[in-house]
Amino acid sequence: MFELDLQHQVKGFELSVELASAGPVLGIFGASGAGKSLLLNLIAGHVKLDTGRIAIGERVLVDCAHKISVKPEARKLAYVTQDALLFPHLDVQRNLCYAPGASTMLESAEGKRLLDLLRITHLLDRNPANLSGGEKQRVSLGRALLSDPAALLLDEPTSALDAGLAWEVQSLLLEIKRELRLPMLLVTHRVSELLALADDCIVLEAGAVVMQGEPISVLRSPPTSGIAKLSGVDNLLKLSARSGSQGSSSSLAFGETQSLRVQLSGVAVGESVSVGIHADDVMLCLEVPRGLSARNALRCTVREVSARGESALIELSPFDSTGPRLLSRITHDALAELELREGVEVFALIKASACHPLLG
Amino acid sequence: MSADELSIIALSLQVAALSTLASLPFAALMAWVLARWDSPWRSLLHGVVMLPMVMPPVVTGFLLLTLLGRSSLFGSWLFDVFGVSIAYSTLACVIAAGVVGFPLMVESMRLALLGVDPRLERISRSLGRGRWATAWRVTLPLAWPGVIGGAVFAFARALGEYGATIVLAGNVEGETETISLRVMEAISSFRAEEEGVAIRLVCVSVAISLVALLLATWLQRAQRAKLLDVNQAGARDV
Repeated sequence: MFELDLQHQVKGFELSVELASAGPVLGIFGASGAGKSLLLNLIAGHVKLDTGRIAIGERVLVDCAHKISVKPEARKLAYVTQDALLFPHLDVQRNLCYAPGASTMLESAEGKRLLDLLRITHLLDRNPANLSGGEKQRVSLGRALLSDPAALLLDEPTSALDAGLAWEVQSLLLEIKRELRLPMLLVTHRVSELLALADDCIVLEAGAVVMQGEPISVLRSPPTSGIAKLSGVDNLLKLSARSGSQGSSSSLAFGETQSLRVQLSGVAVGESVSVGIHADDVMLCLEVPRGLSARNALRCTVREVSARGESALIELSPFDSTGPRLLSRITHDALAELELREGVEVFALIKASACHPLLG
Repeated sequence: MSADELSIIALSLQVAALSTLASLPFAALMAWVLARWDSPWRSLLHGVVMLPMVMPPVVTGFLLLTLLGRSSLFGSWLFDVFGVSIAYSTLACVIAAGVVGFPLMVESMRLALLGVDPRLERISRSLGRGRWATAWRVTLPLAWPGVIGGAVFAFARALGEYGATIVLAGNVEGETETISLRVMEAISSFRAEEEGVAIRLVCVSVAISLVALLLATWLQRAQRAKLLDVNQAGARDV
């Protein structure tokens, strides 16, 4: 579906992407400045590619080696941005009919079904600035879909909206995906959006693809600290190696007296290692555990208990207060049974495989 | 007002209108290049385009005469092949007025174009509209107040043009004698009866310029109000 092999430089920033994805919805995940929007602009043809090849489905859009570069207007890639970017001098109907052939399509049964799907039939004679953020984005999606695109390019389509409107637009995108089966390239830094919509996902960092895979596996094992932060990893620890690697695992200093075992080889003594641990992966126990398969049982003291929402977040520090803080997420039932409160000593149980070594 | 004075006013209006209309497409193109062309040469080009605005008009006229006069390479070719002589003709008035008003028109349009979000143009292209269709359907309507403003400034400047015109076109009665030239002639004659001619032509010149500026302001305001209305309504919604 999506085949990209490209290199591009702009103002000292270098973007280098090589990927093949069956899609149909490919998520492009990464922090601000990673090159996500530049990649989308190169695919759309708004920025001229330095070297490489871009193909979507059977269509080769750019092949620098063969001097092929399809003009943006002929690529049939409808672009939807975070600001909706409706034409301010045209009302909603004229925005929707902007693309060649769109007015005919709007009159058709398919067009009317699309308006119903997007819930914008009642907005046709309104001016763009009289619309709410969600309405604008729905009209923007309608305008894109009425241009009869071969694929949709979505550049953070919900990031300018508040949580409620973002959920509304996300649900709509899901319906579009299900009903229209249109290939989509989705640039996002919202985890929920990535999980809900993308079938495949790449992670961009500093202009390079650092990971590709199913969204759930990418978010589960983020490759770098930056991506770990974005994907909501609760514990980002920077620890130094206590001893050299032994086989496939290493021992990192967790305070002065305890160690955290992680699955990482080739680490020298004293080397600094970043580790990401999901709070859900930190179990708590009131007594010294015995016969345990998990490699880490860290003696800690409860510093704070936050029991808001669907679960409780427990903040821990090593019992001798010499190491970093650690977060554990447990159920309210577990919190009540363990009677956790500030000052209680517990053991934090963490599997070595749940400690994700991070780059950077 | 005498028939001579009426014909001078008519010629001035004709010259100003023709120079403005002829400059419009070139100014629009130049403004677009200066607003959108991402190149280190852009500043230099901008400087060159702005030159007639800061140079003494007489110098501009002299340069034009050097380029277009009968003794120049282009002027002699034009005369030999087509039998046309630009210097000291109505066309020379139009060219002089056009060149002097060109930077005003370009600058007004350039600033208006810079106010148009380039992402709207990108969206238009991705929706299947080509470069020219995008310019016509998106860029021009949004930059319209600047286009009108630029055209009116250039028209007013052309109406008052003297220095470049006197060098390139001279003061030929019925051919190149515009309001400015006739007013200057009347003043420098030191004759009492000429004073009335100067005053009448100055009044007409002020009136034409004022009407043009008011018309431009009204058109700009109407266009801006359309967008502003929309924006204020949007702000209320928020």
